[in-house]
Parts: sequence; C-alpha cells; structure tokens
Amino acid sequence: MATDAVRAQVAAKWQYAFSRLNRGEPGISGLMTFSQAWRLATEFLRPRVLTDRSGSHIEYNADDFRKALHLINRCHKLPALLETFLDDLRKAFKLVEREVEQHMAEYERTSGPTIINQFIMRVLEWYKAWAPPADLGNTCLSTYTLNFQTNLFSILPSSFPPAFKALCASTLPSPDPDAKLDDIISSESFWSAAEMLGLMDRYDSLVASVGYEHIEGHVLSTCAGQWEKPVLGDLKNWMADKMIPWMLVTYARNAQTTEEVRHLLQGVGSRFEFHMNKTLCDLRTREIFDIIIDFPDSMGALQDLKECLQRVDQRSALVQSLRKANRKRLLHPGADTKLILTQYVATIKCLRIVDPPGVLLFKIADPIRRYLRERPDTIRCIVANLVGDDNTGDSLVDENEPIQPLQQPDVDDYTDPNWEPEPIDAGPEFRTNKPSDIISTLVSIYHSKDLFVKELQVLLAQRLLAVLENDIEKVDKERKNIEILKIRFGEAALQVCEVMLRDMSDSKRIDTHAQMQKPSVVHPTIISRQFWPALKTGDLVMPGQFQKLQEEYASEFHKFKPDKKLRWLPQLGTVHLELELQDRTVDVTVPPLEAAFIELFSQQTVWSMDELIEVVGSIDRSAALKALITWVDLGVLKEDVEDTFRLLEVAEDPSAESRERRMAPVTPDVAPVMGAQQQQAEKIKVYWKFVEGMLTNLGALPVDRIQSMLRIVPGYDQTVEQLTMFLEAARREGLLTVRDGMWKLNR
Amino acid sequence: MKVTVKHWHAVAQWRWDIGNNDTAGNEDDDDGDVCGICRVPFEGCCPSCKMPGDDCPLIWGECTHIFHMHCLLKWIGTAASKQQCPMDRRPWVTAERKV
Repeated sequence: MATDAVRAQVAAKWQYAFSRLNRGEPGISGLMTFSQAWRLATEFLRPRVLTDRSGSHIEYNADDFRKALHLINRCHKLPALLETFLDDLRKAFKLVEREVEQHMAEYERTSGPTIINQFIMRVLEWYKAWAPPADLGNTCLSTYTLNFQTNLFSILPSSFPPAFKALCASTLPSPDPDAKLDDIISSESFWSAAEMLGLMDRYDSLVASVGYEHIEGHVLSTCAGQWEKPVLGDLKNWMADKMIPWMLVTYARNAQTTEEVRHLLQGVGSRFEFHMNKTLCDLRTREIFDIIIDFPDSMGALQDLKECLQRVDQRSALVQSLRKANRKRLLHPGADTKLILTQYVATIKCLRIVDPPGVLLFKIADPIRRYLRERPDTIRCIVANLVGDDNTGDSLVDENEPIQPLQQPDVDDYTDPNWEPEPIDAGPEFRTNKPSDIISTLVSIYHSKDLFVKELQVLLAQRLLAVLENDIEKVDKERKNIEILKIRFGEAALQVCEVMLRDMSDSKRIDTHAQMQKPSVVHPTIISRQFWPALKTGDLVMPGQFQKLQEEYASEFHKFKPDKKLRWLPQLGTVHLELELQDRTVDVTVPPLEAAFIELFSQQTVWSMDELIEVVGSIDRSAALKALITWVDLGVLKEDVEDTFRLLEVAEDPSAESRERRMAPVTPDVAPVMGAQQQQAEKIKVYWKFVEGMLTNLGALPVDRIQSMLRIVPGYDQTVEQLTMFLEAARREGLLTVRDGMWKLNR
Repeated sequence: MKVTVKHWHAVAQWRWDIGNNDTAGNEDDDDGDVCGICRVPFEGCCPSCKMPGDDCPLIWGECTHIFHMHCLLKWIGTAASKQQCPMDRRPWVTAERKV
C-alpha cells in the first residue's frame, strides 16, 4: 500500500542515514571504513573467557580502537555500540554463572567462608576484565557497572546472602583478646572488592546485622548474671577496642582524614552503640526479678539499667517483664507472705535506684499491693516484723533507717520553687511517691493504719499473756518496742497498748502486795478488759483446790482494792504442777484445762470424757481431747475404752492402742486471743438482731438504707463495705436473700 | 495421786465492785455497765483520762447512780447542772462506800 508520499519519506530517511554513515566520502568507502571500525570496536569490547589471556585485546591495539571509536562517535553510533556491548555482556554472563554455581556448590560442601572470599575475588576479576576502557567515558562505565551488578545479582542463588554474612562475620575480631588486628587489615581487600561489586550497598543491612549480632553475642556472654559491678563501662571500652577497628575497615576504608572518618562512622557508630545499650537493657529486663532477689549484691546491674534506660526507651518493657515475673513467681499461693513482703521491699529499693521519680515502682507495685491486701496474714506479718517477732533475723526494716512517723501522701506544694510536674509516663493514679521509709510504704498498702494498730494490740496481748510475772525483762522489751512504734504510729493510736503494759506492772505490784499478806502459788496477770483485745472466754470452772486458790486470792485482792473485784479467765495462763504418783513424780507446766482434768483424776481414778466435760463446764470436745492426750503422752493417763481414761498410779508401757490414739487428729491450737478479723465479725454479729427486726418490719431494703438505720444504734461504727460483707455472709448462711440490691429475710 | 500446785500463772480481769450480785449469772453482763454521762464502760476511762482503774475512779451517789468521777465532777461544775444527778435530777449527794 505504499503511496508515493511514503515511498518518498522512506527514501529520504535512507538517504539521510546513508550520508551520515558515509560522511560524504566518495562511493561507499565511508560506509566501508565505518563498518570496519564498528567490527573492531565490538570485537574489542566483547567480554571473553578470562582464561584466554592470549586473546583479542592484544590483537587490536588501543590506538586502533580509539580511532575506530572516534569514527563511530562521528557517526553518532556510540549508543548503538554500547547497546551491542551490553547485549554481549548479557550473553557472556553465562560464564560467570557457571563459576557462581561451582563456588556455591563448593561452599555448600565445605561451608568455609574463604570459598566465598575466593569467589568474590574471582568475580572482581571478571568485572575488571570486561570493563570498557576509560575512553568511553564515565557514563559508559557506570552503565556497565550497573548492568554487571544487575546481572550478577540476578544469578546469585538464595544461599548467597547467608554465605556472605558468614564471610563478613569471619572478618570480625575474635573474642580472644590476644588475637591481633592483622586479620582485620587483611580483610581490607575483600571489603573493597565487595564495595566495587556493589555488594556493600545491596547487603548493607546484612553487614550491619553482622555487627549487631556480634555485639549481642558479646554482651550476652560477658554480662549475663554479672550483677555485682556495672558492666557498661567495660562494654564501651570493648566497643572502642574491638568494634571500631572493624568498623573502620568496613565503613571508612577510603577516608583520608579523621574528620572524614568521624563523618562516615557517625551513623553506624551510634546505631551500634544504641544496639549495645538495648541488648544490655533487654538482658537486664529479662533478669530483673533475680536481680531484685539478689539486691543489694546486684547494685551494678541496677546502675547499668538506669543508664541504659536513659538511652533506650524500654521502660514499658521493663514494667511488663517484671509484672509478668512477679505474677508467675511471686504472687501465687505457694509463696510465703513474708517472702512476698521481702521481695516487695527489695523491689522498692531497686526501682528507686533505677527510676528515682517512682513511676516504674508505682506501676509494678500496684499488683503486688493489691495481692497483699487480699492475703489474710499480711498485716500480721508486717506487724510481727515491726516488733521483731520473727527469729529469722532478716528484718524488712533497715536497722540504719531512722525511725520516723508514718508519712501521709502529701498534696503538691505549688509554692515550692523546686516543684516538678509528674513524669511524662506517669499513670492517671500516680501519686508522687516521695522517698519515704519502708514501713510507711507497707502500711500504706491498707487504707488506714487502724488495722495495724488492732493487729499490734492482738500480738502484744498474746505476748504479754505468755510472759511470766517475774520476767520483767520481757515486759521491758515490749515497752521498748511500743515506744518505737509510738514514733511511727503516733501516741494516741497506741494508748491502748500503753494501758496493757501498765496492767502488767500493776499486776506485778498487786501480786507482791498480796503475797506479802498471804503467800499464794497464784500469780495472776490482772488486765483492764476494755483495753485488751477480746480474749477467748469460756465456761471453764476450775475444780477442787484450784477454785479454792482462786477464791483466796480474789478475797485478798478485794481487801487490797476494796472497790474492785477479780473475774478469772480460767482458760488463760499456765500451771506448774507436781504430781506424786505411787512410783514416780511428774513435774510439768501445763495449760489450765489440763490442770483441771488432772485435779479431777486425783479425786477419782477413772473418768469418761463426757463426765469430765460436764464437771469443768461446757468446753469443746476437741479441746478436752487434746488436754487428755497431753496426759496420755506424759504417761499419767491411759485410755482403756474409747473416751474413758484411767489414772496410771504405776507407770505402764504405752500400749499400741494409745500410740495410735496419739496420732488422732487434734485440732490445731487456737490462739487465746481472737484475731482482728474474728473480732470484727464478733462485733458486727451484735447488730444482726437489728437487721433482722428491720427487715421483718419493712420488708426488702437496700444496703444504704440498712446502714443509715443502723447508725442510730449506739456504738455502731461499721462502714457500708463491712456491712455488705456481713450481709453477704448472712446470705451464704441462708438467712437473707438479695435481689436487685434489695436485701430480704429468707423465709 | 496427789496434785501439788507449785505455781499458777493465771489471768484475771478486774471489775469495779458496783454492788450488783455477782454470785450467779454474771457471765452475761459482758458489756458491763456504762457511765451515764460519757457512755464509756465503767472499766474504761472517762474521755479526759488515758489510764483506767485507780486513775479514773467511779463515784457513787445516794441515788444509787454511778458515774466516772471525772465525768460527774465536770457536770456538777456546770451551772446548768444545779448540783443535780443527771439521771434523776435529785440533788447529788456522794454516797459513802460501804465496803
């Protein structure tokens, strides 16, 4: 369909092209010289097998090539030449590919990084051999480099990056301190080869990761479990001694001046240093629980952690990790309350070092405090520790810490010129936790210190009642304790304890007087009942001579203090007895119930348990059994038939039966003093009648209403929460039902 | 068998001897009587005292009413009292203790 116009156009084009190539030479001689030049140039450039050194480069000398090039350039055919060259390159790359395969196969067999080194050197040789001469200009060279690299990368197998990484790692300084730096220097050629081939750019992150992993390995191997001394300084020295030379070779080979070096290393150097800090920080975060256990032997680790946390933002990770560790290792039923408290105190001390403002502490302490609040024996444990009750020796309280009053959380004082706002990551409920003493912190687990004072009272009562009246030292020790606690809790709170102590000294005085009037074996502790915690009272009636002794002493007391009289608490105290039996005497100190029983056996040698219980008043069967078994154990009584005991005037070998009986489950010894919680329950029980009456008359009531009505009752001092707990308990016993918050009698 | 008590470390509470019959059935009066003025048990102490017992004694009226001495004296000291017993408004006369 060639029209004339098209034909003319094609002719014109052809003419133009021809004239350009022929350059106006006569005939087609111009064309001939051009094709000659073209052939020479392409032949010259063609990539060849490296081995035939004899080859073409020598055949064509550089001058001819330059002339040919000049000719081609005049004909504007350089781009075409370049294209042909690159095409040839692509075709010739099969040669490289074969070698790649060979080397990689070799590497996979031996997995020695030197193979890879050889391989890279070999590829560099190819690269250099095929490079076009400089006459072609920079553009040409860079196009060649780009194409060579593209081709190279496309044929590198997937196993190459790990191999390359292994090679990089082999250039690192060995952990052996004696290793010389020569190894690093020798690897310089490798690094320049890698850079020339573009491997550095392509595998930049790989090279960096080699550095990271090396740092990580070093930190983990040298610092794990080393908590005594700070290690950060050593690590920094190590970085300077070992890592910087490597970095110099790797990243700043070509630098001429120190300024340049600094510039080149700035980025990577700070990244490596950050990584070192982060690795150490992560390590310490993982170890934090054990670090706290080891406190104060782990000061170094804590200081490191503090420094690291300033560089690395790992605070939340630390909180998470420690909270998790606490949950897993501390806050479970298997852990002793004492242990939890000790660890809590150590945590406080440790985190004060790591984070003085206390934000971390607040976040970590919260679950511990909540857990402790749920434990029934926490207060007892703290109080026992306060008065030095435990003999384990490791007190929660630092002996050197000055005794100071409990600190209340104080409100921000905005007129203080040194006032600082809350730290930025403080939680919403964060209270500025001023470095207060440990006891204040422990007491603040609970909302009020009253609970502590109550528990303290109970504890003191137990200890005082155990004191024999002539043991002044012990009373003085308690007095000293109370004096110390007064400083903490305030005078008023411990007034009751003061009365208890005075009762002790009064008893002593009264007893001295009474003994002078009429000597007696009875030495009572006379207490002011309003000031002692509720004591276990029962209906024990002391039989025989005991009652006589009591009465005699009571009348003596009445003579001395005419306006007062005594009321015995027969369950409490101890009796030192001597039993004269036919063949032996038994000298023991026993509780009063045991004494009462043995007194009865002196009147009649065989008793059944029920008879015994009837004579001494209504007491627990289990308590009675326990008392009797005490005597069976002492070989004074024998249980012939079940629940029937006989006095052994003549000793008998304990029979198998009695041994068996000895194993019988005896209920654990109940404390003579009711615990604070028990007292609380006793107290609120009084109000049950009121609640019952109220609900009978008014039907269902919400708890608030019950509370407001109970307030009218004199002496009612329970909070709504306590009342709710009480109502809940009543519901569990089936006395009440609740629906939609309305309490109703269960009828 | 002969049982000899060599030493008895007993525990007892003291009570004010306020003349009520304590030979029987006194197990129930665990709460004890309270002072009509301060509502604190007699064995406790009046609001201005810290130590109970001899430091904060009771006072008996002819009208048989009993108070903490400090409480009553404070009451008598006010003009509004007109020197009367706060319970029955009869003139206060301190009774001699018949011990």
